[in-house]
This record gives sequence, C-alpha cells and structure tokens, in this order.
Amino acid sequence: MKKFTCRHLVFFCLRHAVLAGFLLATAYPLVWMAMTAFRTEGDAQARPLGLPQQWVMTNLAEVLRSGEFSSAYANSLMLCSASVAIAVVLAALAAFAFAQLRFRGSHVLFLLFLVGMMIPVHVTLIPLNRLLGVDGLGIKGGLVALAGPYIGFALPISILILRGAFAALPPDLLDASRVDGCSAWGVFRHVALPLSRPALATVVIFNFLTMWNEFAFALTLLGPGCETLPLALTRFKGEHDIQITQTSAALVLVVIPLIIVYVFAQKHIIRGLTAGAVKE
Amino acid sequence: MNSHRLTPYLFILPALAVYGLFVAFPILDSFRMSLLHWESPLLPPEFCGLDNFRLLASDHVFWRALGHNLLLLVGSLLVQLPLAILLAFLLYYPTVGRTLFRTAFFAPMVMPTAAVAVLWQYVYEPGNGLLTSLLRMTIDPDFSHAWLADPKTAPLWIFVTICWQYTGFHTVLMMAGLSSIPTECFEAARIDGANEWQVCWHVALPALRPTIAVSATLSIVGSLKYFDLVYLMAGGLPEASREVLATYIYRLAFDQNQGRYGYGSAVAVLLFLVALAIVVPLQARRLLNRSGEERAAGSSRGRAA
Repeated sequence: MKKFTCRHLVFFCLRHAVLAGFLLATAYPLVWMAMTAFRTEGDAQARPLGLPQQWVMTNLAEVLRSGEFSSAYANSLMLCSASVAIAVVLAALAAFAFAQLRFRGSHVLFLLFLVGMMIPVHVTLIPLNRLLGVDGLGIKGGLVALAGPYIGFALPISILILRGAFAALPPDLLDASRVDGCSAWGVFRHVALPLSRPALATVVIFNFLTMWNEFAFALTLLGPGCETLPLALTRFKGEHDIQITQTSAALVLVVIPLIIVYVFAQKHIIRGLTAGAVKE
Repeated sequence: MNSHRLTPYLFILPALAVYGLFVAFPILDSFRMSLLHWESPLLPPEFCGLDNFRLLASDHVFWRALGHNLLLLVGSLLVQLPLAILLAFLLYYPTVGRTLFRTAFFAPMVMPTAAVAVLWQYVYEPGNGLLTSLLRMTIDPDFSHAWLADPKTAPLWIFVTICWQYTGFHTVLMMAGLSSIPTECFEAARIDGANEWQVCWHVALPALRPTIAVSATLSIVGSLKYFDLVYLMAGGLPEASREVLATYIYRLAFDQNQGRYGYGSAVAVLLFLVALAIVVPLQARRLLNRSGEERAAGSSRGRAA
C-alpha cells in the first residue's frame, strides 16, 4: 500500500468537494420541488428556500382529489402495460427469426427496423394524425390511438436487444432440442424465451419507462378529457401556474413511482438506453 | 433448422405489420404530403410540387430551428461529455458514497422530460423560483430576471436544463467504460513513473475512446429528437427563437389549428433526411463490419461442412 501523504488528503478532499457540488446541483432542484409540495402557499412565497415552516399534506390531497390525476394514472398504466406486452411478444418473435433462422432478405428487413430507432419520431406526427383520424382508422382522440405508434416505435430497440440475447444462446442446446424434434416454434417457446429472461426484463422495463414518459404523441393524438400522466402534468401546470405548491405536489406524484422503479431496475434502464449505440 | 421455408417470415410478420403501418408507412406518407398544399384544414389538399420546399429555403424560422438543433448537438458534445468524463474520473478513485453519487447523477434521466420542463420552469420563475431566490439571498435582495422570456439568453438556460438531465447519463456510461479497462494498465504506468494526471490523460482517456464514441453517437442522434423540453420551456419566446425542427413541425400542423400539414411535412422530410445524413456515416462502419463478420463466419462454416 502506498503511503498516505498530505497530497493524497488534499486530492481526496478536493475530489469530494467537486463531486458534492455536482450532487447539490443535480439533487437540489428535486429536493426543493419535493419540499415545496409540502409547504403552505404563503410559506412558498415568503421563504422559498430552506425547510418548510410547517409540513402540510393538503397539496397532495388536493391534487389527488381533483380527479384528473387519478384518471391520468389509470390511463398511463393501462396504455403502457398493454403496449409493452404486445411490443415484447412481437419483438421476441421477430428477434428470434433474425437471430436463429436463415432467410432471404433478413439483412434488409433488419436494417428497415433499425431506421425506426435512429430517426426522430416527430417525423411521423402529421401522417399519424391523418392515419388515425377520421379519414383513416378513426381512433384519434382515445387511448387506443397511442398504442400503435408506441408499439411500432418500441419494436426496433426491443428487437435489437432480444436479437443479441437470442444469438448468444448456447448452440449445443439449440442443436440438441432440434435433434429432439423441436420445431422452430418449440425452440423459441421452450428454449429461447426461458433462457432470455434478463433481456426480456430489460425490454419490458425500458419500454415501459419510455412509454410512461412519452409526450409528443400524447399531445398530438389525444383528445380533450383523455390524458396520460405527462400530459396531465403539463396541463395541470397551465391551470395552476400561480400555485407552485400544488404543481409541485403533482410533480412529486409523477416522479416518485419512477424513482422507485429506477432504484430497483437501474441496470435494465441503463442497458436499454445504451443498446442503440453499443457495439455488438 | 428443419422447418418450412416460410416459418421465418411468419415469425417476422406480426412485428413487420405493426411497424409498417405505424412507422414505415407514415414516414413514406410524409414524403407524399410534403408535395401537397392545404388551403385550409377543412378543404381537400392540392398538389403543389416542390413549392413547400422552395418556401422553406427562404423561411428564416426553419433555418433558425435547424441552427438550434445543430447548436444543441455541438453544445452537448462540448459540455456534457467533458463534464461526464471528469465526473467519471473523480468517481473512479475510492469515493465515499459512490453509489449515492451515481444514482443521483442518473436520476434526472428517468424523469419524463415533461416533468423536467415543469420543474425547471419553476427553477427559472422570475418571482420566487429557485434560481431567483438563491440570487436574492446571496447577491442582491431585489434581484429579478425573467429567465425564460429573453430571446437572447433563454436558449442558454434551456440548454442548462438539458445538461442537467443528460450529463449524469453520460457519466454512468463513462464509469462503466472506465471500470472495464484493466487496472494493470494504470499500475504499469504508475510504476513507470507517471503521475496521476498523466495516467488519466495518456492512459485512461485513450482507453476510454470506445465509450466516448458511444456517448457521442447517442448525443448526436438524440440532438435531433428534442421536443418536450423546448416545446414546454420556450413557448413564451418569439417564433424565430423558440423552435427546433420537431417543435416547428408540431406547431405548423397543430398549434392553434394552423393545419399547415403540407408545409409541416416538408419540414418533417428534411428532418428525416438530416437524421439519415447524420446517422448513416456514424453507423455505416459498424453495419459494414457486422455483415463482414457474418460473411466471414458463414464462409468458414461452409468450409467446415
């Protein structure tokens, strides 16, 4: 072990000071928001910094009672669960073909899917508005309208992640199951899927988070009275702009579940976010 | 695999159908719509050739929006990445509460950008926002500044918010990259008499290059996808100062029922082409490499058989 010198001590302290500075810059806005949610409006106007003079629950209660938020919660939960479930099934099927089956055009088809990951989704706002509107499928305005684009844009990244997992399955095992008479479907169902649980978890968690946070499609395709959580939050802010405590309470209600998921599923979230650029 | 020739296509078909209908078809459709002109959202459109694109060429809001996207791209590379590398280096040494730092730095990344926008609108609130209150407490008790209303500086404050959200993400990437470098490299350099600065600069940084490439790729691809933050935070600015390409598309088509679907589609087509022009060079080498490897693998397999 090296000797612990004065220089080490200075470096140690300096390093922690810089890190603490950045920690403060990152966390303080969040902490401030959380504390504002528990202040009285007068307190927030008079002493916006520091600890609340008096911790009150009325803001949270008020937001929950207003009803917009609970229905937005239910909407987001329903929409995202259903879309994720469908997206994962579709992506797993396709990824299995790309990873384990040989067929003509596989390269071109795979590239076609990758394009969807690289382009900004906003390119499709106007045509999707037409496709889902009265001249097309006629489902614009309701939650169902969002499922199609959500699933469609979840497919590329999901296929990419799952293809990687399926391609890494032990070849001996796959050969053995084929010798035992498994069809492609059987191999997929009984070998590939059960052995790829971590990748499936990544796909589920990452897509859920992405859809839960999505804003542009919801803003464009949902009608009045039907909101997902991010949309409800921004509308709430618009209506209660002056009441910083109430909007903060709404923010807290949106962010808390995410922070909990994040603490438990950090690894999956990071893997999903980087899948698009990591070399295979 | 001893299965029918059609089996692979059956596996792909459901995904392809959904993807085709909700992603590929709309992209193609935007090309078609970019050639149309809507006199009003209620009337049927007329074919107008490339008129929309001619109009775009002299539309200064469009050029400013494109400029904002490029500024965001360059700014992200020059600010977020170096900061992330610095933080990752600092955290590489034995640190009290490293997990806490990492978790906290990354946390803004999992928030909805809409929530980030709402939060930071309050940070920048002129009356009793966080930043104003801090400055009142420390510098000038009468300080007041409408952070998000001044067209000259507001984009900068929005960029600060963007850095707040994404720097931690790049930091976590860099930390993972650093930890995958064998420690022997650093030890060897130290034994050869390098000081810590030289170890970081001449050994760790070059070894980190693949991770930096990943970060840069994500940053570049992401810089064209900004919508939520800019749409929500820059709403109060004059038209030319507030747009990036994605928000311009949205506002042209949907804001106050403007209904300029054709013109908006022309912007969308250009956004699509810009994205391709940026992504293809970034990813081409990787894709070529991969097909090269597969070909090599295939031919060696053929020889073995």
